[in-house]
Amino acid sequence: MSRDAAGRIWTAGLDNVFAGQTTSNVALYEAYADVPQVRVLPDVWIVKIGGQSIMDRGRAAVFPIIEELIQARDEGIQYVLGTGGGTRARHVYALGLDLELPTGMLAKLGSGVPVQNARMLQMLMARNGGIVVYHDDFEKLPLYLKTGCIPITSGMPPFEFWEKSPDVGRLPANRTDAGMFLLAEFLGARGVLFVKDEPGLFTADPKKDPKATLIPEASAEDLLASGQDDLIVERVVLEYMTRARHMREIRIVNGLERGQVLAALRGEPVGSVIRSRGRG
Amino acid sequence: MSSFVTGDGRTHMPSGLMRESLVSKTLIAATEGGRVRPMVPGVKFIAIGGQSIMDRGALVLLPLVEAIAALAKRHKMVIGVSGGSRSRHTLAIGLDLGLPIGGLARIVGSIEEQNRNILQFLLAPHGGITFIKEHFQDLSMFLAGGLIPVCIGQPPYHFWEPPPEQGRLPENGADVGLFLMAELIGAEHMVFVKDVDGVYDADPRKHPGARRMAEVTAAELLAMNLPDLPVERELLHCIERSRLLDRCRLIDGREPALLARSLDGEAVGTLIRASTRGRP
Repeated sequence: MSRDAAGRIWTAGLDNVFAGQTTSNVALYEAYADVPQVRVLPDVWIVKIGGQSIMDRGRAAVFPIIEELIQARDEGIQYVLGTGGGTRARHVYALGLDLELPTGMLAKLGSGVPVQNARMLQMLMARNGGIVVYHDDFEKLPLYLKTGCIPITSGMPPFEFWEKSPDVGRLPANRTDAGMFLLAEFLGARGVLFVKDEPGLFTADPKKDPKATLIPEASAEDLLASGQDDLIVERVVLEYMTRARHMREIRIVNGLERGQVLAALRGEPVGSVIRSRGRG
Repeated sequence: MSSFVTGDGRTHMPSGLMRESLVSKTLIAATEGGRVRPMVPGVKFIAIGGQSIMDRGALVLLPLVEAIAALAKRHKMVIGVSGGSRSRHTLAIGLDLGLPIGGLARIVGSIEEQNRNILQFLLAPHGGITFIKEHFQDLSMFLAGGLIPVCIGQPPYHFWEPPPEQGRLPENGADVGLFLMAELIGAEHMVFVKDVDGVYDADPRKHPGARRMAEVTAAELLAMNLPDLPVERELLHCIERSRLLDRCRLIDGREPALLARSLDGEAVGTLIRASTRGRP
């Protein structure tokens, strides 16, 4: 068996810029820096339906949103739906914290509720083409979309036991907002839309602080720097936006207001946006 | 049976996290501190390098397999493995094609599975079995049966791999994935087996005066900002954030006797540990 100078079994065909290097070598940061990154599904919206904000309101909130989503699909707008967890996820996190469970275990537990919500939406949208798409089915998205189906997935990323301990506290930092944002970034999607029960980011939680005011356009960098206590999306989403290659903007609409979801998917400037300057 | 809480249009389950955004810094800080429960205490976690060990073939691998088999008689062990040269080739081709970070993360795991299958085959006479994520919760059974579970390192972030802080390679490789598994398990000992005898304060190939550090904190290593490291940079962040396992050792697998000495608690190679033991 032929070996290279370091004793590794080697063939010339495996030679490349990374060969023999550690992935921690800073010199490799520049490798392929100029290669444009492909957009996997550039025409597809990623739409996240809030758990606590929408699903836990039941039919009063969910049915009108479904109507708008079907209308959008009938207009030829393609999207993947993802679901949040909501109050049951909060209950299981509280239980897990009380039992001293590690963060990875909390993430595993937290994955159970958005799947329920995805299945609920699928049952409601089945006659219009709603299908549940699991993490291993994502490579079939082109087929589902081409046939006019509406893919519905759990918003939770598949990190589960591999969710890292966060800097502070025990709660998994990557939950359903992060999962849907990362999916949008991977797909190089047309946009990412968060459907919540508020029109966007406020200066504080508007459900607790009556003096809170809406911020119609916010910067991810400024929000991270300001240290604002509460946010309308998971904090890691802002961090990921600052590093993202494609998704430098997210839009938030109030799904309780009729017409907002459809308008946003048509590209109208409803709700509010958070943008990142990116790394230039 | 707790009763539900209504009145704001949503149906809540009472819990310490009810109505919370789970984003508030104040709330997250309140979940800090206290004990975290290990999943399977007393496990020794051994991470075998891909490029550094596997790619050297029989010469280096077979003596190491013998050492592992002998140690398995008196230790509960999990063996993890990374990809190596073929992973680097995968990344090089994938980047040239412009694949997004999540796409690269999705495909590199196949190479690790090849290495896992090789290692499992070699360890099979001694109880080696494949250990896949779907069977994570069966670990106690495998260990009680005297088996040696062999797993891949790449965490299952797949298409959801977050954009890296720098460069175009996924930050979360095998070192990170295996450490996160070891942390969740609550492993007693974690050792990375590679082809260097430790971490140096400079590149020993370029600086003859470079000194091997017997012990260093992850924070110190990050602050030193070395141009290259024998472990993934993100591993150092994980060590600092970990709530259970706060250290790992790096040893040279070309000297298989070091493995037994490491598991016996001897100060071989380099110990990388968190700068503060436990959390505030």
